[in-house]
Amino acid sequence: MTDFSIAEWRIERRREARPAARFIGLGAALAGAIIVCGMLFLAAGAEPLKAFASLAKGSFGSLRATGETLVKATPLIFTGLAACVAFRARIWNIGAEGQVFAGAMFAYWAQHNLGEFPALVQIPVVVMGGIAGGGLYAALAGLLKTRFSVDEVISTVMLNYIIVYVLSLLLLRGPWSEAGGFFEQTARVDRDATLPMLIAGTRLHMGFLLALAAAVLVHLILTRTPLGYEIRAAGSNLRALDVQGTNTRRLIIVVMLLSGALAGLAGVTEVYGVHYRLKAGAVAGYGYSGIIVAILGQLHPVGVVAAAILFGALLNGATLMQIETGVPSALIYAIQAILLLFFLAGWAMCNFRLRRTGRV
Amino acid sequence: MFESFLQATILVSVAAATIRIATPLLLAALGELVAERSGVYNMGLEGMMLMGAFIGYLSAHQSGSLWVGVAAAGLTGAAMAAVFAFMVITLKVEQIVTGLAVNLLGAGLSTYWLRAAFSDSGQTPVIPFFENVPIPVLSQLPVVGPILFDQKLLTYFAFLMVPAVWFLLFRTRYGLIIRCAGDNPKALDVKGVSVAAVQYAAVVFGGLMAGLGGAFLSVGSAARFVPDMTNGRGWLAIIIVIAGLWRPYAVLAATLVFSFLDALQLQIQGIGIAIPYQLLLMMPYVVAIIALMVRRSRANAPAMLGMPYSRE
Repeated sequence: MTDFSIAEWRIERRREARPAARFIGLGAALAGAIIVCGMLFLAAGAEPLKAFASLAKGSFGSLRATGETLVKATPLIFTGLAACVAFRARIWNIGAEGQVFAGAMFAYWAQHNLGEFPALVQIPVVVMGGIAGGGLYAALAGLLKTRFSVDEVISTVMLNYIIVYVLSLLLLRGPWSEAGGFFEQTARVDRDATLPMLIAGTRLHMGFLLALAAAVLVHLILTRTPLGYEIRAAGSNLRALDVQGTNTRRLIIVVMLLSGALAGLAGVTEVYGVHYRLKAGAVAGYGYSGIIVAILGQLHPVGVVAAAILFGALLNGATLMQIETGVPSALIYAIQAILLLFFLAGWAMCNFRLRRTGRV
Repeated sequence: MFESFLQATILVSVAAATIRIATPLLLAALGELVAERSGVYNMGLEGMMLMGAFIGYLSAHQSGSLWVGVAAAGLTGAAMAAVFAFMVITLKVEQIVTGLAVNLLGAGLSTYWLRAAFSDSGQTPVIPFFENVPIPVLSQLPVVGPILFDQKLLTYFAFLMVPAVWFLLFRTRYGLIIRCAGDNPKALDVKGVSVAAVQYAAVVFGGLMAGLGGAFLSVGSAARFVPDMTNGRGWLAIIIVIAGLWRPYAVLAATLVFSFLDALQLQIQGIGIAIPYQLLLMMPYVVAIIALMVRRSRANAPAMLGMPYSRE
């Protein structure tokens, strides 16, 4: 018999990650993401440090830049909260993208078709319109799930594609197209309906405050109401909730309504706070980023706000980065996905440990 | 007389287009079918196709060889699938969330890389694309010839993969193992077969096929890459697998329905019938939802689909 002792390493799954392990995991994820981004900068022929520096300068370098970062963060807070509410209940609403469109479209329709509103009521009308549009479009996917057992992941993705064409149909030589206009967009919206600016010298508008208020509201709903209890319970075990006597079909619809309403508000803030016109370019892209925001924010409203501001900074700083270093701003979308992948892996790895099982 | 000749020509051209358009969907759907049979939902299909389309285009452009492009696209899809597999099989991260991350990565990275690689030219260069390869004798047959036997090589490959995948899944020992991983992984584990290894192989195969599907879009027909050119085809492929009740021949049938819609749409636009083109373009997505409403039976679905296997 040979006499070596062979030490074997085994990877085991832990029940609960230790805080230290969690910290290390997150740090490693962040480091990994930064390294990959640096490599992408190099690939584009730019010096990574310079690129990071101009990214930072572009996002927080001045009052104006900071304000713009918060403007970019605003719709992401809404779509992040939308994903947060749904994912907490383990309802996979991937449709925030389409619900942002629906919210903006319904708000526009309400403002123009529900009669003449006095100046003071214009903003409440478009806000309610956004809530209704986003909520109803999401509830459609909810109905498809509860009545026809169509998986919500797939139906929401399909609805995302469909509404882009619906908007285009209305805008391109359609009833909403600007008279004599060349582009696929509406005419400028009524000044009374636009969201007021908050700070002179920036474009920061009231929508940001609405977003913060929404975050507080979502937090209260999740922690202090029966609905919040049901959402959290559905997240851990929907079937048990069913057995306990909760109407889970109703719950699914309610969660979709709430989630979609939040996403719809992002459409309102973009059209009535930033672009002052309804066009696809004003409302596209926030839904998918919102999902990343929600997950990086650990499905917690405070985390969502923080992650949304980080992503707002990336989006905003990218413009200066492109001008100063020539790195295409499209990089930001790649960075968002890379961050998400590394964080998912980092969190998962926190749940493992390496154990030495010595054998003699 | 002339009119009926014209109608016949249009029918033949729609049918031939249906077969051509089916290629990327069919490749991706067959790959997804194998992955799902092994118990893993690959929701990252869209991103793998898109990245395959881009890398295929880029490598074909750099190397001057279309086949290098196709191979690179397949490898790209497989590599992304390997990352996906590591996340969902080894680390057991939520499959839907991981799939989404892969999709976003594909969309972001391909757009960024395209701009970074061709920033000087302003416009992306056009590359040559695959010509049709008529099969001798068979392509001379009336009607059937031009529809089925005057296509690109990748199209023949995609259609031949239908019986091949059927044979693999239902007539080989390895197919039995794959299906068992999706239906009853515990039984495999007891037998001493590694469930994870089987699922890795199935998912990587799925990614390879998705990459090839993407290559058909860029290298195979468009001769260029456009951001987001897959336009939901990865998702349609997932729907096709569900509508096809996880069976290869039914998957083929479902693919043909979707590609027929697309071919019809092209034809209607081509001859200028006054229907807004947006209505035509949204048709596949509407039909997809209706198909899922009608086909509610999940009786054929792998029992453990989407649930990661662990021993405890």
